[in-house]
Amino acid sequence: MSDSALKKIAIDKINDLAAALMQKGTLIAPVREEKGSNFREIKNPQDIYLDYDNTLLSPKNIFFPQMEDFVNYQLGKDATPAKPVELNLKPAFLFGVRPCDVRSFAIMDTHFYAVGIIDPYWKARRDATTIIGYAFDLSKPADPADFYNTLGIGAADPEGSDIFMVKKDKELLLKGITPQGEALLNGLTMLAAGNAADEKYFTEYVKKGKEPRTRMMCLDDKTIAKKYEQIFENTEYWTRMADGCLSCGICTFVCPTCYCFDICDEDIFRQGARRRIWDACMFTDFTLEASGHNPRTKVYQRLRQKVCHKYSFSVRKYDVISCVGCGRCTRSCPVNIDIYSIVSEAMKA
Amino acid sequence: MTNFKHIEENLKKEAKKLLEAGSVAVVLAYTEGMDEKHPQPFAAQSVADADKIIFNEYCNHNLARYIIRYAPGTKIALAVKAADSRAVVVLIQEEKIKREDLILLGIPADGMKNSKTDEIIDAKTTGGLANPVIYDILLGEEIHTGKPVSPYTVLEQYEKMDKDARFAFWKEQFDKCIRCYACRKACPMCYCDPCFIDQSKPRWAVKSPQSHGNLMYHLTRFQHLAGRCIDCGECTRACPVDIPLYLFHKFVAKECEEMFQQAAGMKIDDKPVMVDFRVEDSDKILE
Repeated sequence: MSDSALKKIAIDKINDLAAALMQKGTLIAPVREEKGSNFREIKNPQDIYLDYDNTLLSPKNIFFPQMEDFVNYQLGKDATPAKPVELNLKPAFLFGVRPCDVRSFAIMDTHFYAVGIIDPYWKARRDATTIIGYAFDLSKPADPADFYNTLGIGAADPEGSDIFMVKKDKELLLKGITPQGEALLNGLTMLAAGNAADEKYFTEYVKKGKEPRTRMMCLDDKTIAKKYEQIFENTEYWTRMADGCLSCGICTFVCPTCYCFDICDEDIFRQGARRRIWDACMFTDFTLEASGHNPRTKVYQRLRQKVCHKYSFSVRKYDVISCVGCGRCTRSCPVNIDIYSIVSEAMKA
Repeated sequence: MTNFKHIEENLKKEAKKLLEAGSVAVVLAYTEGMDEKHPQPFAAQSVADADKIIFNEYCNHNLARYIIRYAPGTKIALAVKAADSRAVVVLIQEEKIKREDLILLGIPADGMKNSKTDEIIDAKTTGGLANPVIYDILLGEEIHTGKPVSPYTVLEQYEKMDKDARFAFWKEQFDKCIRCYACRKACPMCYCDPCFIDQSKPRWAVKSPQSHGNLMYHLTRFQHLAGRCIDCGECTRACPVDIPLYLFHKFVAKECEEMFQQAAGMKIDDKPVMVDFRVEDSDKILE
């Protein structure tokens, strides 16, 4: 991390900043919607809503859209050969991402390219995007479902962002974290230079962000991974955890680190596409084999897969817990199943 | 105001009694989730489990949803609020369960709340009944205060819309759908295995969340629930993107009630409207 000079802007002037970023490319930022906020492409700078806690849907769809066409074709008498879909990406700016979500991108990178098999779609979008992180508001209590501290993530961790922002009264302090971020900041003329007091505030805010704020338990990667190997066949524990689970897919769809997908050929009115769509291990047909056999017919088996994938398999294979404690699954669950409680119960099982 | 603490105590007491005597294998109730405001459906299988049962104004999940998870013949006790009891009635009518395998612990309740929004759940999003329509043991006093409110009043403003406006309204709503299928999974009446939308031969609709596929999924589900939806509103509360599914269900339920003078799940001896035929049945649909 270089010691770049700090920049600042009044919060009521962020429209200017947004307009400048929109000139340079696509701006994606949280906007307020009926049932919470979500990351959307900004058409009108006034829509940006920074006073949010965590968005309803995770920002993973910026890099990994729920539906993405790889190839298009036409069927019937006007049949055309299959044409690959070009990405034609503009530079993108992902504005106002919370530290736990920023962390999720690094975890997803593991699956999408860091282990050697490169997903060109994810990679291209990742490379085209500048991440502008934003610290949680430390003056407010964390959402009761959050538990990112358990995963070692601080409420104001700048790691992983290109630029990191901290709120200071009615101003936003912006600091370049990567050379790319720094260069971008230097080119934005509406930003004022920060002074020594701002520097101090920023550093202290980041430090203060390390203090426990969310639900916390002592969680060691290796220990929990081993524990889940041991209790994999503890049906009593798993059925108890899955008593209420409806086996819908909300938790996986809102999760920033769930990445399972299906590739299918779909056509309607002879317009065909080979496309990738999010899939979920919580769906009954996820494991349905061509023979008709389904190795996971019970709800507890599917819940077990989801939890073990995050807390055990991922650790064994990639040395990382595939969860950032953003609390989205818990908040969205129609029957209030809480992964934090599932994991803490596992320690006792 | 419903005395939730009193109901909780009775629920614990009855569950304990039933499990101790071995008269049921499982008691379906609620337990504490992340906190009191977020209770979880819970299957108590031992006397020790019974101590973990709770009941408060946020326990709105429809427990009838879980019955079909148990092998036929399993003796089940379940806590039923008005909507849950109506769902049980439909399941009995449709022969998914037998009345004699169930012990229904009736809960009269008003002032239930949505834990996500803290809104009071009333006749706007549900059937609006306070008392269970069947039960074996009643865990509180029946509620007979206040005038009964029609569950269909909320439809008035939508019925004024013309056909195009209505289609535009629903298209916009369904475009939000992310196909997580929480609505069908929360629904006590959606027990098909496999659900038509999961079938691959033939595939009835695209899997991807696009307008036409979403429309196919939701409209088919609405049709499958005609005369069966008991208006618990769980689908709508489960929806992460806030699609007001209850409006459509209520609309169909209202049509059914007007045509056949029968609301779903009110009496065990009723025949479900879609499998019944009476000479005096309304011909409105053919006109």
